[in-house]
Amino acid sequence: MSLAYARNDWYVIADRNSLEQGPRRTRLLGDEIHVSGSYAHPVIKDASGRMLPTQIKFDHVWTTVGDRPRPLFDIPEGNEPGRRLVPCGMVRVKCSPLRAVENFLDIAHFPFVHTDVLGAEPYTEVEPYKVEIREQNDEVWATKVKFFQPLAAKSAAGGITTDYEYRVPAPTTAVLYKTCPPKPEAQDVITIFVQPRSETECDVWPWMALYDDDTPYADLVQFQQMIFLQDRSILENQRPIKLPLDPRMEIPTRSDLTSVAYRRWLKKRGAFYGALAETL
Amino acid sequence: MTWRPVGLTRDVPAGRVMRAWVDGQDAVVWRSTRGVLSAWDNRCPHRGMALSHGFVRGEDLACLYHGWHYGAEGGVCSLIPSHPDLTPPDTIKTRAFQSAESDGVIWVRLEGSPDLAPPAIAPGLDPLRSFEIRAREGDIAHGAAAKPFEPAILSLLFNPIAHDRTLVTVLIDAQATSDQRKLASRWCEDVRREVEA
Repeated sequence: MSLAYARNDWYVIADRNSLEQGPRRTRLLGDEIHVSGSYAHPVIKDASGRMLPTQIKFDHVWTTVGDRPRPLFDIPEGNEPGRRLVPCGMVRVKCSPLRAVENFLDIAHFPFVHTDVLGAEPYTEVEPYKVEIREQNDEVWATKVKFFQPLAAKSAAGGITTDYEYRVPAPTTAVLYKTCPPKPEAQDVITIFVQPRSETECDVWPWMALYDDDTPYADLVQFQQMIFLQDRSILENQRPIKLPLDPRMEIPTRSDLTSVAYRRWLKKRGAFYGALAETL
Repeated sequence: MTWRPVGLTRDVPAGRVMRAWVDGQDAVVWRSTRGVLSAWDNRCPHRGMALSHGFVRGEDLACLYHGWHYGAEGGVCSLIPSHPDLTPPDTIKTRAFQSAESDGVIWVRLEGSPDLAPPAIAPGLDPLRSFEIRAREGDIAHGAAAKPFEPAILSLLFNPIAHDRTLVTVLIDAQATSDQRKLASRWCEDVRREVEA
């Protein structure tokens, strides 16, 4: 049942860089996938040799293994003039794809996991914010999130209170909008596309759409990779490995509103791939 | 349940956090600043993070993920940093196991009557080493017996960690000379190498 739902979503399985390195094998939803061709004309096949549909979007190659795939969501900011689009490569994490998304939606860990970068003690308090399920497109949104950050982005000179919004358009994708230090009226967009290799292992493909023409590409990628490697040290040490949907198994507090909404939303949809739907 | 030897007292000084395995249970063993030893389920009740990655703050163990504090006395949550003014409900607590120390060895058991002390070790022994071998207890005992340390001044304690991993705690006669202790340490390495080969 969980697999049936997951099969009909679209997933990133490559970017331009990985395709230019020649044919490769990867995994999607527990099965092997063969990736070849060029970025303009990718060729994706499952283990039996069946051709899978592809589309290029947000600087990545997407595929689906389902018979009736849901349409791929849009991230309209990616088309806004003046934004710099930054695919950040891939980080492999031995964790549930859903735990990777949930961690991305969480700010309370910044002072402890991304110490002196995205947060620092004693600035640990999370002010009340707003979470809703937007019915028109059935997405989780968290708005009016604020957090003090000593070094929020490559373009930030010192500590600032950063405004955040989070959007979950699909179970394995999370989009973050945050204060853009050099352009306070605009928001930078940072996204993770999570490729579920299995229920307990995933490839995370970060992608950014920034107002930042100055920072060298390598520095931007290195900054994101550093953040994700710090997150990985957490994600590979959570038990159970799958994300529990029963709130009695992991006790939330007020600052976990986004995580609570995300878990409920997964449960309501029946998006159980990578989740623990029952109580242990 | 049985008391299991999980390490040496000197390996867990005040402020130190260690991971241990007890009858298949993943556990965290740590000592507070004032010296209180605790053994808990190695899992933060908030988001399931391994507490063995955490850090000691005074009499509390703090989780690395969100910094939630749990007190040495009872494992009750005492601080949620994202809401520093909130008094956490005392239903948020870690699962505590029994821990005890005798003759320089730390013992843990999952449950049992609190007044039952860990097994007494023969008097006059010093802890020498506590280390892991990738083998079963029976194979290690067999390997050790095949080339016994002379003179017979060593005692071995076993704690099965997984089906092919065992924590071995070695004790040595308190009268042993420093040369004998060095030789005994080398003997431990030899046994490990042979059993793992």
